[in-house]
Amino acid sequence: MTNPTGPQMGVTLYSFTNEWLTRQFELPGLMREVARRNLGPNIEIIGFQNFKEFPDVSDDFAAQFKDLIAETGLNPVSCAINSDRFLKPGQQPIDDASLIEYHKRQLRSAKKMGFSLVRYQFALPVELLPEIAPYAEDIGIRMGVEVHAPMWAGHPAVQAYAEMYDKLNTPVLGWIPDFGGTASRIPESMLNAARAAGAAESLLDKLKEVWLEPGMSHEKAGRLREWALANGHAPLHIQSASLAFFILSNNDPKSWAALVDRTIHIHGKFYGVGEDLVEEAIDYATILPLFRDGGFTGTIVSEWEGHAYCTVDAFEQVERHQAMCRKILAG
Amino acid sequence: MLPVERVIGEEGLTATPAGARLAMRLPWYRSLPFSTVEVGGLSIDGAVVDLSGALVEYDGNRWPLAQLGEQTNAFWFVRDSAFLVLPDVSVTAGSQHDVALTVNVNPPYIPGMKRTNPQVATLTVN
Repeated sequence: MTNPTGPQMGVTLYSFTNEWLTRQFELPGLMREVARRNLGPNIEIIGFQNFKEFPDVSDDFAAQFKDLIAETGLNPVSCAINSDRFLKPGQQPIDDASLIEYHKRQLRSAKKMGFSLVRYQFALPVELLPEIAPYAEDIGIRMGVEVHAPMWAGHPAVQAYAEMYDKLNTPVLGWIPDFGGTASRIPESMLNAARAAGAAESLLDKLKEVWLEPGMSHEKAGRLREWALANGHAPLHIQSASLAFFILSNNDPKSWAALVDRTIHIHGKFYGVGEDLVEEAIDYATILPLFRDGGFTGTIVSEWEGHAYCTVDAFEQVERHQAMCRKILAG
Repeated sequence: MLPVERVIGEEGLTATPAGARLAMRLPWYRSLPFSTVEVGGLSIDGAVVDLSGALVEYDGNRWPLAQLGEQTNAFWFVRDSAFLVLPDVSVTAGSQHDVALTVNVNPPYIPGMKRTNPQVATLTVN
């Protein structure tokens, strides 16, 4: 059993991306299914995935959503918002005032629906935080920036944010670790999917080699692409293999210790948990005790991302992931 | 094909008085502004379709495809189809056609990332 004062479990509906995109559920049905399977009560929702009215949710929709929350007994912990700066491909990013307003629109919608925090992104330039944090304070909602691959505790962007967090010194700002930044290996299920799509073993061997090299993700992706084109691999196979650079990095799992104090929420990223309750790529037994022992009492939402390359049952994966986390946290 | 890679919508190809109408799905996990989406190309029965007069219909709105890049505040809900209207293409209800559609997405929070998503399907015209 999870210690009631320690980390709490939950799920992000992002785990059910395949079921959502194939229209197997509308939002009420998906939330009822999550509740029926006891995968909550804590949930995260990506505003731009599940709410058609995002970024400007109407009062009517917010009221319907709150009714659904009351009916299902779910707890709307986190609403993921986006820092969409590059609205015109190949052109300059939008101006700062527009980006600030874009964040405020999403913060207002999240608050209106009853979420207690938002996930935001490093695409927001750090110098704009002083313009946004007071607004979050005013309306009463916390903001956690997602430390997602290729970011990790030692990344310069994270350090710049940490300096700004010190300067602003407000309880509304924090971190949301995403464990994909400290993967120990590329998940075998991802490699199998690339094999099934026709990628040659030589391309996957090179991927595994380049993935472990130092450097920025896009540089490594460029390196693989250059090698692969020169060696006759098909562009679509290269694109498929390159996914690993953008969603997984191989930084030290213990590095999360530096961020525990300001962690307000966690993305329990995973790719495949077997019947043995072990995740393929991310070393949970090393990572979770850092947060438990560091006093983290927020929510770990199960975030299955295998849907980026396969279609196994997401509900079963989330059940196994939560069982794994509970076992480790109790240990 | 993964759900996230699908670009030809469930509603398929329809004959209308205003030309052919093809359902498109957004090949991404979340809604995106239409300005970040490009129709990379369309062939019907192996012939490249000239898209210079094409329109995009979504949720009561209609834009020339050539002006899609201006739609920075119109969001394509990821669960919905948008429709490519082809005034110069005539199809007959009940006929079958091989349709090859490519949709590119440029996620607006990942500078420089472009994903190309081709799909080929044999469709019976509605």
